[in-house]
Amino acid sequence: MKKTRITYEYSHDAIKDSVFRHAKALRLPEGWGEQLAERIAKATDAWIEDKDIVTEDDLQNFICKELEEVSPDIAFAYRNHDKII
Amino acid sequence: MSDLLSIATIVLAGIVQASLQLSLGGLVLLYHSSMGQHKRRKTRYLAKSYIWGACTISFVCVCAIAFLIQQLLGVAVSQEWMLISIGALIACSLVMWLGYFRDGNGTELWLPKCLSRYITRRAKHTNDNIEAFSLGMLSAFAELPITVAIYFIVANCLLNARFPLLAALLYILIVATPMIVLKFSIKAGKNVVAAQKWRIRNKRFASLFSGSSFVVLALFVVAFWVL
Repeated sequence: MKKTRITYEYSHDAIKDSVFRHAKALRLPEGWGEQLAERIAKATDAWIEDKDIVTEDDLQNFICKELEEVSPDIAFAYRNHDKII
Repeated sequence: MSDLLSIATIVLAGIVQASLQLSLGGLVLLYHSSMGQHKRRKTRYLAKSYIWGACTISFVCVCAIAFLIQQLLGVAVSQEWMLISIGALIACSLVMWLGYFRDGNGTELWLPKCLSRYITRRAKHTNDNIEAFSLGMLSAFAELPITVAIYFIVANCLLNARFPLLAALLYILIVATPMIVLKFSIKAGKNVVAAQKWRIRNKRFASLFSGSSFVVLALFVVAFWVL
């Protein structure tokens, strides 16, 4: 079976928005959520800088690892939000 | 006696359907996506609409099947039809035990991937009450291959009950109970991650309970409606 590979352009804002949404869903204060989202997005920028291409799983793993240090609940939500049904 | 038996069967069938996880999972998903985007009040309205949607489709299905039975077969169904539905219940219990949840860390269900992705995508983009209502309808409808046998049993009981509308409402209330409990627990301050972690921790128990309750319903129907 032939597998198609879809590539996306990396976006700092998309990562930030995604982390912020997960933080907000857990009822964390918005200011704290924004700070956290910015911090994670910057760390991701630095990690991705020297790479030509990364898989979605690698990106998710990296973000979860970063989130794990700050808030295990957000990391859990980030990792499992597409495994609910 | 007939009334009491009908109500008991309806309550048992309601518990069996309430133990299914798709509508509840859809609500968790809706809460998670909506709380990340909207204000709490809007999320509350979306959740309420979702629950109404899931209840409406169950109510409509039960009433439609009761109407079809009455039109096509007469007031009560024959024992052959009851035996067919009992067979379906036993088959459903096997599905529950063996393959209701997919392997892995999440609570992914037996649904075709395309359908679960579609529900997930719709939940993320649900912005108004009508969309939430139709998402609730979709999630209840997607479980029809499993719930149709329960609907058939309930429809037959409704035809034998003295107050069919009240019995149907009681059934719907029992079906909606897990979603209502989730709604109130989130309102009381629990977050979605806590609910989802609880679901993951207890998914084997949920599968076992669900499968066993299908068997109990089947045995109950055999004992009181067939023999």
